[in-house]
Amino acid sequence: MSLEQVTKADQPATDDEAMLVRVQREDFSIDEELKRVRRRSKRIGGIAMFLGTARDRSKGKDVDGITFEHYEGMAQKKLREIRERAIKDFGVIEVLVLHRYGELTIGENIVLIIAAAEHRAEAFRACQWAIDELKQITPIWKLERTPEGEVWVEEHP
Amino acid sequence: MVTIQLFGMTKMLAGNQGTLSLSLHDGKRVKDLVSVIDAAYPKIGELLQKKKVLVSVNQEIAHEELEVNDGDEIALLPPFAGGNHRSTR
Repeated sequence: MSLEQVTKADQPATDDEAMLVRVQREDFSIDEELKRVRRRSKRIGGIAMFLGTARDRSKGKDVDGITFEHYEGMAQKKLREIRERAIKDFGVIEVLVLHRYGELTIGENIVLIIAAAEHRAEAFRACQWAIDELKQITPIWKLERTPEGEVWVEEHP
Repeated sequence: MVTIQLFGMTKMLAGNQGTLSLSLHDGKRVKDLVSVIDAAYPKIGELLQKKKVLVSVNQEIAHEELEVNDGDEIALLPPFAGGNHRSTR
């Protein structure tokens, strides 16, 4: 076994690679996630970030809270695909994709995308593409609680 | 017998069940599965016919001609929170 292999095997179990794509109930720390991305490479010179939060209005109606449901397994698979394609197609160094599930109150964090590149242009492009793609292909559903009752978003197109 | 996972509004339309267990008698393609669901749950059937709800097999969106095999992981996917299955935006 070479020295390189030994070093790799000795890395902690909470390997950053697995932590770069997550679907989780608990909130995340933006500082911690930024650190996680920055640790990946010293070549990073520009980082773009998108944070989606729970707002109190939807299609003109008041919203008291949101519940996110996800398809365990497929959701993670799609987010991994988004990270891999963003890195491959946009020439960025690293991409982190996190999404929360469960009951959220207004103002809470929902989704975080961090795209890190050598320069800002690729970082911005990859970040925008990743959040747009996430919304299109990731099996995550949103139930809004309103004064009139609960509504699955897109239920009444 | 195949087991189908339900999410979001499809769960509600099936009387808040998280899964459906159905027998496929006439054919084993996704379109045959859709016919069986349509007979038992017409409201879900209508959304499947309109492609508002999609069928996934083994965590990928499935074409209606795809054959379903024992042990496949099948789910009904209503429109995702962020968009409408690529048909909009």
